[in-house]
Amino acid sequence: MISHKEISNKEVIQEVFSLINEYKDLNAFITLNEENSIKKAEELDNNPSDLPLAGIPIAQKDLFCTEGLRTTCGSNILNNFIPPYSATVIENLENAGCISVGKTNMDEFAMGSSNETSFFGNVKNPWGKDLVPGGSSGGAASAVAAGLVPAATGTDTGGSIRQPASLCGITGIKPTYGRVSRWGMIAFASSLDQAGPMARTAEDCAFLLNEMCSHDEKDTTSLDNDIPDFEENLNSSLKEKKIGIVKDLDLSSLNNDVVETYQNSLKEFESMGAQLIDISLPNISLSVPTYYVVAPAECSSNLSRFDGVKFGMRSEDAKDLEELYVKTRSEGFGDEVKRRILIGSYVLSAGYYDAYYKKAQQVRRLIKNDFDNAFKTIDVIMTPTTRGPAFKIGSKGDDPIQMYLEDLFTISANLAGLPAMSLPNGNIENKPIGLQIIGNFLDESTILNFAHMFQNETNWHMYTPEGIKQ
Amino acid sequence: MDKKTVTTISYLSRLKIDNDKEEKIINDLGNIIEFVDQLNEVDTTEITPLTNPLEKTAKTRKDIVTAKNLKKELLEVAPSANEDYFLVPRVVE
Repeated sequence: MISHKEISNKEVIQEVFSLINEYKDLNAFITLNEENSIKKAEELDNNPSDLPLAGIPIAQKDLFCTEGLRTTCGSNILNNFIPPYSATVIENLENAGCISVGKTNMDEFAMGSSNETSFFGNVKNPWGKDLVPGGSSGGAASAVAAGLVPAATGTDTGGSIRQPASLCGITGIKPTYGRVSRWGMIAFASSLDQAGPMARTAEDCAFLLNEMCSHDEKDTTSLDNDIPDFEENLNSSLKEKKIGIVKDLDLSSLNNDVVETYQNSLKEFESMGAQLIDISLPNISLSVPTYYVVAPAECSSNLSRFDGVKFGMRSEDAKDLEELYVKTRSEGFGDEVKRRILIGSYVLSAGYYDAYYKKAQQVRRLIKNDFDNAFKTIDVIMTPTTRGPAFKIGSKGDDPIQMYLEDLFTISANLAGLPAMSLPNGNIENKPIGLQIIGNFLDESTILNFAHMFQNETNWHMYTPEGIKQ
Repeated sequence: MDKKTVTTISYLSRLKIDNDKEEKIINDLGNIIEFVDQLNEVDTTEITPLTNPLEKTAKTRKDIVTAKNLKKELLEVAPSANEDYFLVPRVVE
């Protein structure tokens, strides 16, 4: 429409802000970038560009540093932080023509699966105002599902792109660890964190991923392998392709509707010519406990930089330096972040390091070895993304372990560094739910193709919440 | 997990636990540690720990200065600074 001059870039951006304003009770955004976005759109109208994503409005998770635009990571401790530089991912997307319309709400420091730990309040799920959107990229998922923006960035340490994508009925992919630069992404667990796109379809995710990936010398874990055109492989036949079904996953504790939805999707893939192969991942049940040693350990180390000295908030009444650190951190961090820092300090402390941290890293290798073996005979692995559809705000109560188990199916891909995505594959009581596809190392193209072929044959990705304009 | 352990790890973490939250924290941390204790059931003898999925050592780059001097910009976002330094409460009396 823009290229046919039926609508201007400026009109598109103005419509985005009018929608964001209309649906502001979703609380999907922490900070808006209205003036700047309209200016950029006007520039594009005056000087049309042939950049691949010219004029596309995108919502950026508030975990990416954005030059001159407040970046809070959902935390009080960064309430006033305006970064002097932008993350590589932000630069890549803006250099491709995207317009960053605002920063999306998220669980504090990406620690949460319901967006209830944000200092800036809950995000609501457009499928039901009493439902969580998932987390930690909950604002991003809610904004895309409500049609406020066509695209958003997310980050995924244990499922933070895939779980909210599942709960809000959209598509999202966590690429291979190292595919997307982490420079300028506020670190939670450095060996697990990875950024990725969230959008309506797998095809849109492929367009976005093409621009997000780059080899970045500023991130020493950034891979310098060739980056394929992720769009090129879409529409490849699934005939004879092999889907691994994890026989060690006990689905009996899941709601019948979730299992039925999952099995219907597998049948759909079979009808496209793919084969189902039973595989064994004998250590997969240890993913969640492994994660809850590794991630807090890395978080306690990464979050030691927040001390009230160089940036962010500072407690006002500290008498000496030691008290400045303690008061700033105690006032600045929320309960879940504190809990994880404390667990991290415990498992890294003398006397417990071998029993917990080293042990978890050994089990992490066993989990990765299981995947390596499985991928010798199959192309992708499929599981439900989540144990069920979106749950009610406040319903997981005060028990952190119940919330941690939300990521039961997603965490293993982070531990092994593998690409994985979620796409809508059904509705349960008018709430969407997702299918997870895990791919082999660096093989995003194959999982995107599986998802795209599914979306060619089904309409689940087109379902939208009632009362939401699209 | 007991009060003494929580006091030690709070000190290591530079966090102060409010009195009214202490009991819940001790309880939560105890439950989490009990939950992760199931890792002990696995035999990991002679398994090399996996610290990072890439298992590559950090790459080196050419020894050329690429960083921009952001001193002014960085001091501007500090809670307290003068023209050259970050300022903190007096350390030495």
